Amino acid sequence: MLFHTWPFVLFFLVVYPTYLALKRTRFRLPWLLAASYFFYACFSPLYLILIIYSTLLDYAVVARMAKSSRQRRRSRRKMWLSISIVNNLALLGFFKYGGFITDNLNVLLSSLAIPYAIPAPGILLPVGISFYIFQSMSYTIDYYRGNIEREKSFIKYATFVSLFPRLVAGPIERAQNLLPQLHKTPRFSKQDITDGLSLFIVGFFKKVALADYLALYVDKVYAAPEQFQSPALILATFLFSWQIYFDFSGYTDMARGVARMMGFRLMLNFNNPYLATGLGDFWSRWHISLSSWFKDYVYIPLGGNRKGVFNTYRNMFLTMVISGLWHGAAWTFVIWGAVHALGRFLTRELESTSFYKEKVPKIVKQLLVFVFVTFTWIFFRAETISDAWTIVTRIFSSGLANPYCPLLALALIFAVWLYQFFYESTFGWVLEARPVRIGIVILMIFYLAIFAPSSEQAFIYLQF
Amino acid sequence: MQKKGILDARRSRKSRIKKVPFGSNCVRLSGYEWLLVGIVVSALFCFGPALWERLEKFEPQPDYRLPSELSNDYWLFNRYCRWACSRYETLVIGDSVIRGDYVDKNNTLSHYLNEIVGRNQFANMGVDGVHPVALAGLLRYYGRDISAKNVILHLNPLWMASPRLDLQIEKEYHFHHPRLAPQFIPNIPCYKDSYSRRISAVVQRYVAFLSWASHLRITYFESLDLPTWTLEHPYNNPFKAITLELPTYEKNNQNEPISWAEKGIAKRDFQWVEPGTSLQWSFFQRSIEILRARGNTVFVLVGPFNEHMLKPKSIDTYRKLKSEIEAWLQRNNVPYYVPPALPSEFYSDAGHPLSEGYAMLAKQLFENEFFRSNILYSSLHLPIRE
Repeated sequence: MLFHTWPFVLFFLVVYPTYLALKRTRFRLPWLLAASYFFYACFSPLYLILIIYSTLLDYAVVARMAKSSRQRRRSRRKMWLSISIVNNLALLGFFKYGGFITDNLNVLLSSLAIPYAIPAPGILLPVGISFYIFQSMSYTIDYYRGNIEREKSFIKYATFVSLFPRLVAGPIERAQNLLPQLHKTPRFSKQDITDGLSLFIVGFFKKVALADYLALYVDKVYAAPEQFQSPALILATFLFSWQIYFDFSGYTDMARGVARMMGFRLMLNFNNPYLATGLGDFWSRWHISLSSWFKDYVYIPLGGNRKGVFNTYRNMFLTMVISGLWHGAAWTFVIWGAVHALGRFLTRELESTSFYKEKVPKIVKQLLVFVFVTFTWIFFRAETISDAWTIVTRIFSSGLANPYCPLLALALIFAVWLYQFFYESTFGWVLEARPVRIGIVILMIFYLAIFAPSSEQAFIYLQF
Repeated sequence: MQKKGILDARRSRKSRIKKVPFGSNCVRLSGYEWLLVGIVVSALFCFGPALWERLEKFEPQPDYRLPSELSNDYWLFNRYCRWACSRYETLVIGDSVIRGDYVDKNNTLSHYLNEIVGRNQFANMGVDGVHPVALAGLLRYYGRDISAKNVILHLNPLWMASPRLDLQIEKEYHFHHPRLAPQFIPNIPCYKDSYSRRISAVVQRYVAFLSWASHLRITYFESLDLPTWTLEHPYNNPFKAITLELPTYEKNNQNEPISWAEKGIAKRDFQWVEPGTSLQWSFFQRSIEILRARGNTVFVLVGPFNEHMLKPKSIDTYRKLKSEIEAWLQRNNVPYYVPPALPSEFYSDAGHPLSEGYAMLAKQLFENEFFRSNILYSSLHLPIRE
């Protein structure tokens, strides 16, 4: 059940009024939990077993940690934390990386001339597993660190893990932000509902009118890159950089909009990332919930930047590579992460020079970051390393055949980029004018009603 | 002390709920602004299509018929209905047999009927591919303006010629005009579209703006949505494609008008579905009810099917099917005509006559007593050219 489909509209038309009617009663959270599980079961009822198991285990682990704290047995707390982490990573490892691991082991066995192949698990990746497992892990780790109190109510905890607006593609919420919101009776105003609608319509437009449109050209080129030449490959990569942004940020906007209408404030997950002036800045604007998760639970525990330059770069590299692997079980994602790590090193060095800091215009920095990030998207999008390599080499060595890239797609991207540019400039006040805001919403609605693509594309990040 | 502890805990929780920024843009409307948007959008949804009709030329010439390429344009069908109802006394409704897929517009059944009566009395409302299940939907949702008219409703028996054509197979089958068929109840076994697309089809029936948007896509963007169209025409201006003139497609519209024997089509054994269990026949009955409920005089024309193409066993079953249909029409006081099969050389395939076939059929109809009394004499009292 995707947000931009009619079944979701019907689902929400049942869940939301009931939620409003129950909001001051003790049935509010059980209703929300039931709705969230129903939402998840629509993808596959079998997935429910997994999420309930993961939720139960982490709830129990924190309960045992709390008991160990009272008994002043720190080593037992560490043991329980390890159980949680190992369990969660094992689930991820099995369902998400099982095929990847067996494929690579089989390659190794074959290279060693061992005539045996490990059978592939052939398991379907449960939707959203990467998101809710990371969210659940953050709770157990934060409790261990003493950053949060234990959630005693299982219903509240389960709702925290499975809240349907953010269940299948984030944002990865922290317990400190979401659990307190589940505790109090929601007091949302008319403004929350209108804000929610505003967020939803923008997200819907980004997904249906923009992301799904760009996908048509990108899919055509990336399906057979050897048949296209440099201009088409460059444009397809450029379009993909915007497609993935519109797709993912569009989903998040819809998720935040739906949650806002129910009185929940989910964290901002995208903040105009293509206006970043450095890669560090980019990662503070792109998939913020994930990048902050990796910073707090991988980079900093590894030592962060506290143990010298070499260790800083080592920690950065490991964090980015793991982040790449989180996105998908393929070497292309690992390479994507590694290239980003190298980019981070470079921008750190550049940004430490006074020339780069003071003399290079902001727009040039933005352009450099954008070009670099777009280049890395080749590895993210390509089906295989071989395809990625084909694309990279053909960009620099093939001819200049007509790319036949729709001008309308480019015009729409330019319009969005211009909006974002103005938004962060001193002329942002122009965009806040009432006629501009109203006009944009009316235009979006009409564009969607008249011109939206008729085919439904799934969200890119659902596959993670 | 206990109360203080609870208060501290609450304060502590409250302070932990961080302020979350709205978003990374300022498309943020207040309640009043959303109301304004709602009013503007509603006004455009309500009046937009009507305004469009004033801008887009639609001046059908005599013997106009909906182009095959626009057969999925139900908003245009609705517009054509309104136009035809204001100018013609009798609408001839059916599928491509009525439309005349193997002849040009001057050799269709309605044309020959007009020729016999000496005036433009009959409008060609044939829609390509509209089987009875889809026809019921077309009349119910897009033919609301057909009221207090004479209607010749054609039944093409070919739609009952096999369980697949009768839409009764379990395996997925991509039939014509799925958006006109019932989306949920009754269940059509071979219709396996997603719930989202089905709900979208239902919504489009009741929101004229959405079927108008579909009209734009079909008429000006080659039945493609805008993004896909721009992939085919990457450097074209989409606004220039909207010429405000409806294409006629007449020049490239014709299938080759040669007989089935010349085409080398062999005789066949059809797996006729009995009327008692036929989905197509039950929906044809609904079409009759829908039209009658709107005060129309309905005259049913059955076939004529190309019986020369049937093997002997199939002919017997087909004749039994015809008599069951006749019996139902008689029981329900529906005036009808089941013409005999035309000469073999007058057919292009199993159901489509050639121009000589339509001319003969028109003459046969004109000589039919029920046709004369229900259609000809009930129309304007003008002399009929014999």
